[in-house]
Amino acid sequence: MAREKIYLEEVFPSPFMQLWGIFRKTPVAMVGFCCFIFLVILAIFAPIISPYSPVEGHLDMILLPPAWHPDGNVSYLLGTDELGRDMLSRLMYGTSLTFGLSFIVVIFSLVIGVVIGSLSALTRGIKSSFLNHFLDVILSIPSLLLAIIIVAILGPGISNTVWAIAIVFIPQFIHITRYAVKEEFRKDYVLASRLDGASNFRILYYSVFPNIVERLMSQATLAQSAAILDIATLGFLGLGAQIPLPEWGAILANGLEHFYIAPWTVYLPGLAILFAVVATNLVGEGIRHALKLRKEN
Amino acid sequence: MLTFTLRRLSLFLFTMLVLTLISFSLSFLFPGDTVINHSGQINATATELAQLNEAYQMDKSIFTQYGAYLTHILNGDLGQSMASQSPISNEVLELLPATIELSLVALLIAMLVGIPLGFIAAINHNKASDNAILSFAMLGYSIPVFWLGLLAILFFSIGLGWLPSAGKISLLFEIEFVTGIQFIDILLSESPYKWQAFSNASSHIILPACVIALAPATIFIRLSRAAMIEVLAASYIRAAKAKGLSFQQIIFRHAIRNALIQIIRHVGLQFANLVTLAMVTEVIFSWPGIGRWLIESISQRDYTAIQSGLLVLSCFIFIVHILTDFIYAALNPLARGNHHGS
Repeated sequence: MAREKIYLEEVFPSPFMQLWGIFRKTPVAMVGFCCFIFLVILAIFAPIISPYSPVEGHLDMILLPPAWHPDGNVSYLLGTDELGRDMLSRLMYGTSLTFGLSFIVVIFSLVIGVVIGSLSALTRGIKSSFLNHFLDVILSIPSLLLAIIIVAILGPGISNTVWAIAIVFIPQFIHITRYAVKEEFRKDYVLASRLDGASNFRILYYSVFPNIVERLMSQATLAQSAAILDIATLGFLGLGAQIPLPEWGAILANGLEHFYIAPWTVYLPGLAILFAVVATNLVGEGIRHALKLRKEN
Repeated sequence: MLTFTLRRLSLFLFTMLVLTLISFSLSFLFPGDTVINHSGQINATATELAQLNEAYQMDKSIFTQYGAYLTHILNGDLGQSMASQSPISNEVLELLPATIELSLVALLIAMLVGIPLGFIAAINHNKASDNAILSFAMLGYSIPVFWLGLLAILFFSIGLGWLPSAGKISLLFEIEFVTGIQFIDILLSESPYKWQAFSNASSHIILPACVIALAPATIFIRLSRAAMIEVLAASYIRAAKAKGLSFQQIIFRHAIRNALIQIIRHVGLQFANLVTLAMVTEVIFSWPGIGRWLIESISQRDYTAIQSGLLVLSCFIFIVHILTDFIYAALNPLARGNHHGS
């Protein structure tokens, strides 16, 4: 008789910890996660660790190829652009603009979207139906088109781009929160806490949110990869970050004139965008994969 | 089917109402005078301005103003372009077909490449080829489209010299404007160099269409893979297996048909994404479409054009959306009985 086992309390990890347990065992997702953390750290510490200023030119070092090229110089690891600005420093600062801003944008829209979405999930009838149709219309307009329109109203510039993209992403968070909250509210455990006399807000806070947080995170990674691409695209089109700012899309647009003689000014920012988007998507894939496995167990 | 049509129709009317309301309110949000933003006549004299105020009922309540604006749009009057001072409806009629052509070709390429690849991945579920296709899909989904366009130009146009890098057709060919869709116009024309023009137009469209198609193709891969995996797990497939049908028979006769229906439902949603990509690609490849025109209008602060561009593009996207809904409902009887429209 294994009597002592009676006293060992069985510990159920929270849904979130279960998810992390599965997530940790997927190597590809962990690689993506490490890259993601790396980008976050780079975005925060870029001003400290970058070797040169992103806007200051070295006129004796114009269009220097990367260091592995025979003409390269190792003190300018990734070469310089047409004004002699160090590409590595520009890309590092660009991380905090393109990647860092997209991160902030997504958090901002997430918070607002979740608040509006969960409030609207509690309403019924004509108000809710109107909101539903209205959201459908807004969601059927492509996000970049909507962002371009908002930028047209506010005028070009990086801060206006950020506002535009934040506004564009709010509807999809409202939509997914509303859907998820409504679905959870039909389940029995919500009924149980309702029978205990919990108010709607208490149920939302203590019962529903812990169960939908992963779904929101997975949507947030999707939104972030779209936000990186949108910020870069607007920068590329000249509607986002303006000339001296080292935003990845703007660097790329800047390098266009010297595309043929200095291809690294176009390759490198493109690769940086690709790297950031792939890292974000890998994390998102990992979360969705883990969610699926947890559901199957 | 009748209730389905009515429901779609009411959704369509509601959407048009919201879209026109958005574009109407844009005139107030944009800098400058509202009536000038509505009409685009920046050089109007005092008498003309008075006429415009009368036409758009600017002295009445906001609802009357909206009514007047709506009447103008229904009469096909989108105002004048502030930059070129020519009627926007004419410009749109010239430019929109080019965008439709480009995005439809891209959609076709995306479906022709994406769906079979997704099926192959699903049939080899959890094997090496599945993983390879999925990694490709992830990469294709993450590439910024403008970068891809530039690399494609550098590689295929400048490096190898295979395909032209800009424009819709070589300037040597003179094609009369009939529908605006270049391929149809070429086939309709009487020119003795019809087939040369046709091959020239096709070589111009391949590169931009492929660049646009990559990201939607990867989404089609994921959609068709998911649909196929679901269908292959269904019990009628097991029944077909038990009947002794060969693998090919099961896949081609039963699985593909049922999986395709699921995919068609998402085509409309993907189309919005595709049009956005087309807008950016048009800028890079100098394609004379509405996306490039819209982005140019923003740098020129041409507010009337921006407003109408938004209206026309979102209408176009929404019409495609509804059309795919109808096709889906016609193919799948289950969808007609569904009480919750997508």
